[in-house]
Amino acid sequence: MADASKERPTYTTDFFTNDTDRAVFLGNPVIDNLMTAVIALGAEVWSNRRRQAVLEALLEEKGVTEEMIEAYMPSEDRAKKWGEERDAFVKRTFSVLAREADLPLSADWQKDIKS
Amino acid sequence: MLDRRTLFGATAAVSSFVAGAVSSPFTAKKAKASIPSDVDVQPRSTVGRLERIPTLALESREDFLTAFRTFVNTDLTRAAKARADRIMDDAGIGAKSPVSREKALELLENDYLVGTRFRAWTSSQRLMWENLYDEFHGNAEKYLAEMEATDNSGPGTLELNPGMDMPNYVKWEIHQQPGGYVGDPFAGHIYHYGTNDFYMGLNDQDQIHQHMARQTPLPTHGDGVQRILDMGCSVGQLSVAMKERFPEAEVWGIDIGAPMVRYAHMRAVDLGVDVNFAQRLAEDTKFPDNHFDIVISYILHHEVTNEASKQIIAEAHRVLKPGGVFYPVDFYTAARTKPKTGWEQVRWWWTHRWNHEVWYYDYVDVDFPAEMKKAGFDVNEEGPNSGRYEGGNLAGIKRA
Repeated sequence: MADASKERPTYTTDFFTNDTDRAVFLGNPVIDNLMTAVIALGAEVWSNRRRQAVLEALLEEKGVTEEMIEAYMPSEDRAKKWGEERDAFVKRTFSVLAREADLPLSADWQKDIKS
Repeated sequence: MLDRRTLFGATAAVSSFVAGAVSSPFTAKKAKASIPSDVDVQPRSTVGRLERIPTLALESREDFLTAFRTFVNTDLTRAAKARADRIMDDAGIGAKSPVSREKALELLENDYLVGTRFRAWTSSQRLMWENLYDEFHGNAEKYLAEMEATDNSGPGTLELNPGMDMPNYVKWEIHQQPGGYVGDPFAGHIYHYGTNDFYMGLNDQDQIHQHMARQTPLPTHGDGVQRILDMGCSVGQLSVAMKERFPEAEVWGIDIGAPMVRYAHMRAVDLGVDVNFAQRLAEDTKFPDNHFDIVISYILHHEVTNEASKQIIAEAHRVLKPGGVFYPVDFYTAARTKPKTGWEQVRWWWTHRWNHEVWYYDYVDVDFPAEMKKAGFDVNEEGPNSGRYEGGNLAGIKRA
């Protein structure tokens, strides 16, 4: 996650960070993390399908055919940009696999909530 | 923000940024202005009164997560509950019989389908916040500049009180929202679009808040509606809806989260609705006695401590005129329920512990009708239904 501006006033204060990231509901953190990744992947797949639907609708209006799309070769710059976007996609989707987690569903608070 | 710019630049309205200052004027100074065009972030136009999410990709991810949440709340929850019920039956307790939370967790927490339901909800919630967080923090400069330029614009005013004393109970990340209401500069942005997911697209035009505004009873004092207070106003949707129902009234929205009221103010300016927003506590509003004709709130009480909830009821009574209306809409203010069955026990625990509804158990222990009567309200226990929660909502009239 990126940081907010350091220059402008934000009117924020301190807060208690939640520990939900440590939850294990499926017996093994790997399985919990994989499910998170699968849901994120679902969002990416749908995002792409939705964008594609927009593009296809616009292209059809402009006379671009499926053959033209299949034959397309990206420029070097464009290929580089796509590679960067792919890497960001991998990070966004799978970074959760690195999550450490150890608290079962029944685990009580880690701090006194009445503080 | 919205494409409703005036031809002229911003005109300064009132705002108070002095540390600890809570004695701002009680009458709004009006200004004709909107968000200055050079900082107005408006990348993808609007649908009705909703600014579209800034990118198509983000909008699509949130669109997916909204649909996924619907699936989790319906098909997956039904399947998990059916399985939990069978487990409770097999244990000789019975699916519909009362059981302790500890016993319910012991029997259900290792079940794969129960676990899947809670994992799916938790993860989709996490992803929903993360997507929004990344957009606003990744473009922090322009979003902060937009708020900064609007802080002093009107219509309506904004009062911020940096350095004010803040009880610890407000500092939790309720619903897992990053930074909660007080710790993230974009808490308002993130909350607004995040809750649009939560409402599954049914509140994109503030329909729920507008319905609540329409349902709000009228005072009995015969003086009409001159002043309205929305306690815990978050991003100001109900405050705006009340101003739209009562255009002649002076409307105030207060919330402890400075980022929340900043966003609320910016949005109201964009909509051209004259509402005053202030960073203040609902249990200590700083308004004079007998000042308001209507005091309302929406889903405030279940996010505060038991003690604060009682103080808020007393404060509402103090600032209302005799004959004024108190309409605190929340989960089951009229029909109190507590978890009993195995499934209910585990689901409530998950909501409280892992979705960080930190004060939910406190909330159900507040006897709303009794507290309101004790404060000096005549209580209508079959108050107008807010349209949001079954069981109805209480409404009180301050006794003369």
